[in-house]
Amino acid sequence: MSITYLEAIREAQARALAEDPRVFIYGQDVGNFGGAFKATKNLAQRFPGRVLDAPISEDAILGSAVGAAIEGMRPIIEIQFADFSTVAFNQIINQAATLFWRTQIPCPIVVRLPGGGTSGAGPFHSQSYEAVYAHFPGLVVMTPATVEDAYSMLLEAVAIDDPVIFCEHKFLYYHLKAEALPETALPAGKARIARPGRDLTLVAYSAMVHEALAVAEELSGEGFEIEVVDLRTVKPMDTDTIVASVARTGRLLAVGESWPWGGVTAEVVARVADEGFNLLDAPPQRLNAKDTPVPFHPNLWAAHRPTARTIADAARKLLRT
Amino acid sequence: MDSQTKQQYIRAYRYMLLARVLDEKMASLYRSGKIHGGVFLGRGQEALSVSVGLSLRKGDIFAPLIRDQAGRLAFGEPVLDAVRTWMGSVLGPMRGRDGNVHRGRPSEGLYAMISHLGAMISVVNGALMARRMKGQTDVVGATCIGDGGTSTGAFHEGLNQAAIEKLPLVLVVADNQYAYSTPNTKQYACANLVDRAPGYGVAGWTVDGTDLSACLKVVGEAVSKARAGGGPQLVVASLLRLCGHGEHDDAGYVDPKLKESPLGRDCLKVAEEHLRKTGWAGEVELERWRAEATQEVERAVAQVQREPGPDPFQEDWTALATRHLLDTYIQNNKE
Amino acid sequence: MSQIPVIMPQLGESIAEATVVNILVPEGGQVEAGQDVLEVETSKATMTVAAPCKGVIGKWLVQANESYPVGEVLGFIEARAEDVARAGLEKVAEPESPANEQQAQQPQQAPAPQTPPSSSLPQTGAAAAAAAAPKRGTVEPRVRGLPVPAHAATVSYMSPRLKARINELGLHAADLAGIAGSGAGGRVTIEDFERYIANLEKQKLTQASPMRVAVADAMRRSWSRPLATVGLAATLDAVLEHRKKLLLRPGPALYALRALAIALSENSAIAGRLIGNKIVHPSSIDIGFAVEAEAGVLVPVIRNADKRPLLEIADLYSRLVEQARQRTLPAEATGHCVATVTNYGTFGLIWATPIPLPEQTLVLGLGAGRKAPLWDDARGQFVPVTEAQLTLSFDHRVLDGGAAGRFLKRIVQLLNEPEKL
Repeated sequence: MSITYLEAIREAQARALAEDPRVFIYGQDVGNFGGAFKATKNLAQRFPGRVLDAPISEDAILGSAVGAAIEGMRPIIEIQFADFSTVAFNQIINQAATLFWRTQIPCPIVVRLPGGGTSGAGPFHSQSYEAVYAHFPGLVVMTPATVEDAYSMLLEAVAIDDPVIFCEHKFLYYHLKAEALPETALPAGKARIARPGRDLTLVAYSAMVHEALAVAEELSGEGFEIEVVDLRTVKPMDTDTIVASVARTGRLLAVGESWPWGGVTAEVVARVADEGFNLLDAPPQRLNAKDTPVPFHPNLWAAHRPTARTIADAARKLLRT
Repeated sequence: MDSQTKQQYIRAYRYMLLARVLDEKMASLYRSGKIHGGVFLGRGQEALSVSVGLSLRKGDIFAPLIRDQAGRLAFGEPVLDAVRTWMGSVLGPMRGRDGNVHRGRPSEGLYAMISHLGAMISVVNGALMARRMKGQTDVVGATCIGDGGTSTGAFHEGLNQAAIEKLPLVLVVADNQYAYSTPNTKQYACANLVDRAPGYGVAGWTVDGTDLSACLKVVGEAVSKARAGGGPQLVVASLLRLCGHGEHDDAGYVDPKLKESPLGRDCLKVAEEHLRKTGWAGEVELERWRAEATQEVERAVAQVQREPGPDPFQEDWTALATRHLLDTYIQNNKE
Repeated sequence: MSQIPVIMPQLGESIAEATVVNILVPEGGQVEAGQDVLEVETSKATMTVAAPCKGVIGKWLVQANESYPVGEVLGFIEARAEDVARAGLEKVAEPESPANEQQAQQPQQAPAPQTPPSSSLPQTGAAAAAAAAPKRGTVEPRVRGLPVPAHAATVSYMSPRLKARINELGLHAADLAGIAGSGAGGRVTIEDFERYIANLEKQKLTQASPMRVAVADAMRRSWSRPLATVGLAATLDAVLEHRKKLLLRPGPALYALRALAIALSENSAIAGRLIGNKIVHPSSIDIGFAVEAEAGVLVPVIRNADKRPLLEIADLYSRLVEQARQRTLPAEATGHCVATVTNYGTFGLIWATPIPLPEQTLVLGLGAGRKAPLWDDARGQFVPVTEAQLTLSFDHRVLDGGAAGRFLKRIVQLLNEPEKL
C-alpha cells in the first residue's frame, strides 16, 4: 500500500472534517468534481454541506474565509493554483494577517496553494509564493516536502489559530509516494535533518529537498558528506537547526525554487551570517531560479530552476573554496 | 403603530444628533491638532446610517464603513469606543494599533473595517455562511459602502458571491455623488447604481437618503426581506456628502448646484423639521437633546484625554495568536 | 577598417589611475604594434602605453595632465582587418559601410574604396560610458576581469571560522605562515589548521616563557611595517682612545647611544611615527639600549639622552646594564623610548639587521670591532684601524634610503669626535 503526496493531503482534510465540525473546505471545483488535482475527491459526498464550490472570485473566497473564521469556523481554502492567490492578496495580507493584531480575534484559516513548477505549466501555473507571504507579519507559511509532512503539517495547520499559507508542490502530488501515513511528526516550525553530513549544509524546502538529497547521494561518491536540512516551515524558520548544522559543516548552500531577490534563501543566509558568522569557513551561498518569470518550454523550464546538477555544481564550488 | 413610529423616529433622530455632535467634536479636535491621522465624518449620511443600525438586531452582523458613526451608535457601539479610537487611547478596542474609523468588536458582530473598499462585503458573506452552517437562520449581515466603493473588484466579487449563496446580506450604498473628488460621472456609467441589482440577481431598492422616514422604512423592509430569506438586498440611497472626503479636504470641487438642490439637504435638519411639523418634538426638546448629546461627548472626551496612549515598550510586537509559532530569530532581534 | 581602442593598462598592483604627461603620436600618425603612443605617470613612476596593433591613430580621447583610470579607453587606432587579426584582437566597432560588405561577399573583386575616417566614430559601450562618466572625483578601479575587493579565494584569506579558532587558541595570522593551505587560491582552511595543530601536538614541545611570547608579539607587530636596513663602517679608534682615559670604561654602545641622541636632536623627524598622513615627532629624545637578560632582552631607557653628556651618564649606563641583567630595572628606566641601540657585536657578530620595536621607527646596531685595513690617501698605503659595522634598520614608510644613509653618516661623524659626546 502506498500513498501519494496528494492523497496524504486528501486524507488530512478528511480527518480534519471528521474530527472538527468547524472545519469546511471552500474553493473552485472542490465539491463534486473533487478539485482540479482531486485533492478533495469524494469529500463533498462524505461530508455533505462542508465542501463548497466557489465562483472564480479569489478575493471573495478569502474574504469570506475571514468572516467565517470570525464567527468561529475553521475554513480550508483551496486556491486552484498558487499563482491565482495574487487576486486574493489583499484579503490575505490586509484582512487575514492583520485581524488578530487589530482586533484580538484569531483567524484560523488554512489557504492551500498548489505551487511550484511542472514542465509545460508556464508562467502563471508555476510560481512559488512562500517568500511573498512570509514577508508579512501575522501569517504562518508551510512548505511540506514529504508525503508524511503533507499529511501531518496540514492537520497541524488546521489546528493552528492563525492563518496558515500551506504551499503544496504540484510536482510532488503524484510523483512522491510513501508507505504509510505517519503516527507522529515533528511540530511545525522545526526543520528536519533529511540527511546528516559533515562537509556542507544544504538548506532546502519543498521539492528542492529531493534535488538536494540526490546531490548528497552523488557527492557522497566523491567523498563528500552533505547535510541536507528540510526547512518544512518557512515562517517561522528554524534558525537553530540551520546554525547547528553549519556549526558541524562550516559551509552553507541554500537552495530555493523561487526567485533570487529577497527569497527564502536570502533569509537563510542572512540568519546564518548573523548568528553563525564565526562558524563559516567560506562565504554563505544560495541558488535560486533565474530572475525571469517561469518559462513554458521544457528546455527553458529545465534550465530556469535549480536542479540536482546545478546544485551539485554549486556545492562542489563551495566545497573547494 | 404611531407611537412605535414616533418612538423609533425620535430614537433615530437622537442617534443622528449624537453622531453629528461627536463628528463635530472630532473635527474640532482635529483642527486643534489633537488627533493623529485623518478625520472622516458622516455629515449628511446620518439618516441612512442610523436606519441600518436600528434595523439590525443583536446577533446580527454589521460592517460599517467610514461615514457610519450614526449607524454604529444605533447598533450599540459605546461613545467611549469611538472617542478612544479617535484619540489614540490604549484602552480603546484597537489599542492604538489602528485608529479613526478602523474600529470594531467582531465578537459582538461589529466588524472593524480595513481600508480597501469593498473588502468587507465578502467578510460579511463568510460570517453569514458560517451562521448558516451552524444552523442560525434568523440573522442578517449589513455593510455600507459609497458610490466609489462599488467600482472595486472586491465589491463585484462580494455581491456576486452573496447572490450565488443567497445570503441574508443587506448592502447599503450611500451614493453621495463624490468619491473623494471624483464625481459619479467618472465612477459609473449606468443611470443609477440600483440598475446593477438585477445584473447580480438581487433585489434592489432606492431611497432618498436625506429623508429619515424614507430611510427607516426602506432599510427596515430590506432587512426584513433578507431575514426572511429573500437573498441579498442592494439599497442605494441618494444624498450629498456634506463634508470633505476627510477633514483635510475642503471639498471645493463639489458642484454648488448640488448643494442647493433637494439632494443637498442636511438630513439632520430635515428630521428636525419633521419633528417640529409632526409635533413629536419642539425647540425645548431639540435643545435639550443637543445639550445632552454635547454633554455625553464632552464627558467622553474629557475622560479619554486623561488616558495614556500605547507604550511602545509595553507593546507586544507580535502578530500571531499562536505564541509557540513566533519566529524566535525575529523575536530575538526585535530591536 | 576597425576602431581598436587604446586602453589604460594595469600599471602595477594597486595602481588605480595614471596621468597622461605626453601624447607621443598625434592623431593621424602611423604606429606599429607595440609602439609607445602615450607617456603616463603614476604615483610610482613614469611609464608608457603601447599601441595594441598596427594602424593609424584615429582619435585621442585624452588630454595631457589629466588623470584616467585603469581600464579606460584613451583613444582609437584605425586598423585593417589583417592587422587586427595579427594582433589577436577582436573587432570592437565596425563602421557600417557597403564597402566592407562588398569586400566580404566578393573577395575576387578589387577592394572597394576605403571609407574615409570620420570624426564621429561609432563608440563602444565602454567608450561611450567613459565619455559620459565624470572624470573628476574618486576614481573607481575598473580592471577588466578582476573583481575588487578580492574574493575568498586567495592565499591570505582567513574565514571567519578560522579567525575565531585562532583567537580561541591565542594565536596570530603570523603563526599560519608555515601551514600549507588546501583551499581555493592556497588558503588555509579550518581543516588544514586543525590538522596542523594536531600534528604539532605529536612533536616535542617546550613551554615558551612569557617574555619569549611577549618578544614574539612585539616582533610580529613590528614586522607588519616595511623595514629596511642601511649599513656603514665606522672607525672606532677615537672612541677606544677616549675610553681608555675614563675610569668606568663604558662600552662603545654608550658612545653610539649619545651619537644617535645628538643626531636625532638635530633632526627629530627621523624618529617620528607615521600615523595616517601625519608624522608625530618625539617630544623628548629618550634612547633605549638592548641588554640580554635571562630568557630574553630588556631595553633600559636613558631619558633626554641628547641633553646629557656621556661622562654624566656613564655611571647610570653601567648601573642600568647591571639592573637589566638582574631584572631589577626601576620603573622610570623602562617603557617608552624613541629609538634603540643594540650592540650585537658582543655576540661576535660583525653585521646584523636588527628589528626596531613596534612603536619605534629605527634601531641602531653596532657590530664587533675588528682590525681592518683602511686606505690612507695621504700616506698612500693601507693603515690598520679598528672598524665596526653600524647598521640602521628603519621603517621605510617614514624614511627613505637616502635620509637613512645621511643620518647614519652623521652618527659616524659624531663617533669620530668622542670628546664632544
